Amino acid sequence: MSNLKMRSINLNAWFGPKQALKDINLNVKTNAVTAIIGPSGCGKSTLIRTLNRMHELVIGAKMSGEVLLDGKNIYDADVDPVMIRRRVGMVFQKPNPFPTMSIYDNVAAGLRLTGIKKGKNLDNVVKRSLKQATLWDEVKDDLKKSGTSISGGQQQRLCIARAIALQPEVILMDEPCSALDPIATAKIEELIVSLKRDYTVVIVTHNMQQAARVSDFTAFMYLGQLMEYGETESVFENPKNELTENYITGKFG
Amino acid sequence: MTRLLDVGLEQLTVMVYKSGEVAENAIRVSIRGFINGKDATETVHELSDILGSMTVDIENKAFELIAKYQPVASDLRIINSYMKIAYDFERYGRYAWDISFTQQKLAKIDKCAVSSDLMQKLIEKVSEMVGKSVEALKQHNAELAKTLADTEKEVDELYFAYLNKLSNARGQNKCVMCNLLVSRYLERIADHTTYVGEAVVYIATGEKISLR
Amino acid sequence: MSSWSWLNKFRQWFNGYRVRKFKNRLFFVLCLLCVVIAIVPLLSILFEVIARGTPEVNLHFLIANGLQGGIGPAIQGTLILIGLTSLIGIPLGVLSGVYLAEFGNNKYASWMRTTNDILTEFPSIVVGITAYSIIVVNITGKPSPLAGAIALSFMLVPIVARTTEESMKLVPNSVREASMALGARRWRSIISVVLPSAKGGLITGTLLAVARVAGETAPILLTILGNSYFFQGFNQPIDALPLRIFLDSRMPQPELQAQAWGAALILILIVLSLNIAVRLISRGRLKR
Repeated sequence: MSNLKMRSINLNAWFGPKQALKDINLNVKTNAVTAIIGPSGCGKSTLIRTLNRMHELVIGAKMSGEVLLDGKNIYDADVDPVMIRRRVGMVFQKPNPFPTMSIYDNVAAGLRLTGIKKGKNLDNVVKRSLKQATLWDEVKDDLKKSGTSISGGQQQRLCIARAIALQPEVILMDEPCSALDPIATAKIEELIVSLKRDYTVVIVTHNMQQAARVSDFTAFMYLGQLMEYGETESVFENPKNELTENYITGKFG
Repeated sequence: MTRLLDVGLEQLTVMVYKSGEVAENAIRVSIRGFINGKDATETVHELSDILGSMTVDIENKAFELIAKYQPVASDLRIINSYMKIAYDFERYGRYAWDISFTQQKLAKIDKCAVSSDLMQKLIEKVSEMVGKSVEALKQHNAELAKTLADTEKEVDELYFAYLNKLSNARGQNKCVMCNLLVSRYLERIADHTTYVGEAVVYIATGEKISLR
Repeated sequence: MSSWSWLNKFRQWFNGYRVRKFKNRLFFVLCLLCVVIAIVPLLSILFEVIARGTPEVNLHFLIANGLQGGIGPAIQGTLILIGLTSLIGIPLGVLSGVYLAEFGNNKYASWMRTTNDILTEFPSIVVGITAYSIIVVNITGKPSPLAGAIALSFMLVPIVARTTEESMKLVPNSVREASMALGARRWRSIISVVLPSAKGGLITGTLLAVARVAGETAPILLTILGNSYFFQGFNQPIDALPLRIFLDSRMPQPELQAQAWGAALILILIVLSLNIAVRLISRGRLKR
C-alpha cells in the first residue's frame, strides 16, 4: 500500500485514566484530503495530535499502538519526535501567529527555530510559502507588519504559510475554520483543495458540509472509536453505519 | 427531535404521494374510456394539467429544501428520487392524455380495445404496474419495486407479440392504427413505472439498479 | 395591625427613588473619603521630605564625601549596590521563574514555589543578619559591597522569580503549541518565542523589584557598614543612602539630621524615577 502516507495500527490513547482513543486503524492516502468528523468529545483532536506526537506533550498523556509515516512507526524508540513534527505540520483552531514577530518573521520562524538558516534564500522561501497560502498579494507591500495586525482569516493563512515554509509532507488541520467568518472560511477551503497537489492533508472539522466539500476521504468517529471510513462521496450519499447516517443528517450530535 | 428539514420533507412527501394518486387516476380514467369507447379527453386533460403544476411545485419544494438545509445521505437520496418520480408521474399523465386523445381522434367511439385479448392483457398488466409503483413508493418498499422487473418483461413480450399480430391484421384500419399507438403508450407507461421502481429502490437501499 | 402598615410604609419610603439616590451618593462619598484618608500618609511623607530635604540639596551636597558634608559616597554606593544586586539577582531570578513556569508542574516545583513565596515576605532584618553571619563572618571577613549585594539579592531573587513566572504564564499556551508543532526544541521555543512574548511583563516586574529592593535598609545595615569616602574596593565597606539616612538621623548634631533629610529626598527621587520609567515602558507597550 505505497499510496498510504500515514497509517495508524491499533492506536489507543489516554489522558491519565480516561481513554480517549480505542483501537483506531486509520488510513491516510497520499496527496489527498482526509476529513475526520464526529460529535464533540469523540476524540478527533486527540487522534490528529497522535499523528505528529503532540499528544505526548500533555501531562499524563499515554498512547499505545503504532503510527506509520511512509511505513515507519513514528513512535519507535530511535525516532526523534522533533523530526516528526518537521515532517508533519499542524495548523490550529484559533489562529496563533507569534505575537512579537512580523509577518515575514512568522513565516520564517519555522526555519529559524529549527536551525535551518538559508540566508538570502529565506526571502524566496517566505514568498513561496505566502503565495501557496494565497496570502502573498494581500501582504506583499508590508511584510514588516506585526503578525497579529491582520484579520483573523489572514492570520490563519499566515499560520498555514508558516507551516508549509518547512515543506512538511503532511499538514494536519484542527478545525481551521471554526473561528473564522464565512468568506475567510471559503478562502481557506479553496486553499486546502489546492494544497493536496503537493501535500497530504488531514482535517478535523465539525462542519459536515465542509468535510463534504473539501475532502476525498472521510472518517467518522464516535466515543473514541472509528465507526466508518470511506470515500467522501459514498459516506455522504450512502453511509454504511447507521450512526454515521444519524450524525451527518443531524439527528444527533 | 424534529429537524427543520423533516417538516419540509413531510410536505414534499405528501405532495409526491398525491401526484402519484392523480397520475394513477388519470391512467385509470383514460383506460376505462378506451375500453368502454367513451370520450374521456376532458377529464384526463384536467388531471394532466393538475399533474403538470404539481410537478412544478414538487421541483420548487425540493430545490428549496436543498438550498436551505444542504441534506446528505438518506435525506438527499429521498429528495433526489422524489424529483425523478414526480417527472415520471407527469409522464403517466401525459401518456394517459395521449391514449384518450388518440382514441378520440382516430377511433372515435368505437370499442377498439376489445378486438384482441393481447391488448386486454397489456392493459391489465400495465394497470397493475402503475398501481404497484405508487404503492411501493408509499411504503418505500424496495422488494415490491423490484417485482416490477418481471412484469416489465411480460409487458415487453406482450407488446411485441401484439405488434406482430397487428402487422398481419386485416380489420378496420382505424382501430389498427389506434391500437398500435395506444399499445405503444402503454409500453412507455410500463417503462416509467420501472423508473419509479428504481428510484424507490434507491431511496430504500442507496443502490442504483436497473429494472429493465 | 397599624404597626405592620407603618413598617410597610417605612419600607416603601426606604426603597423610594429619592432615598435610593441619596444612598448611592452616600456610598460614593464614603469611598472617596477612604481614598483621601489612604493617600494622606503618602502625601504627608512626600511633603515632609521635600520640605525638609530640599534646602539641603545642592551640587556640593551631591558630590562631596561624608567628611565634607556631602552624600556623594552614599549615592554612589546605592547605585553600585543596585548594579551589583541586579547583576547577581536578575539572572538567578529570571531563570528560576522560567523553570517554574515551563517545567514546574511537579511536586518538587510546587515546594519551590511555596518557599519562594514565603521568602518574598521575609522580614528584611532577618535576611540581613543571616547574610551577615553567612557572608561577612565566614566568607568576606568584613563588610563590603559584595556582601551587601548578596544580601539584597536574597530579597530580589524571590520577587523576580515570582514576577517572571507570572509573566511567562500569561503567554497563551497556543504560542508554545505553535512553536512545538513547527518542530522546535523545547529550550529553543522558550528562548525564542515565549520569553520575547513575556518581555514586557518581565521588564516591568524586574524594574519594580529593583526599585523596591533599592530602598531596603535592614539587609545592608550589617553587611556594608557605611563609609565616608567613595568606593574603595570590592571588599571595603561602602556607603548607601538608606544606611546614611539611618545613621545620620540618630546623630545629635542638627546638621547631620538635616543631611539625613537630604539623603531621604534623593533616595525617594531614585525610587520614583524607576517607577515612572516602568509606567512609561508599559504605556509604550500598550500603545503598540
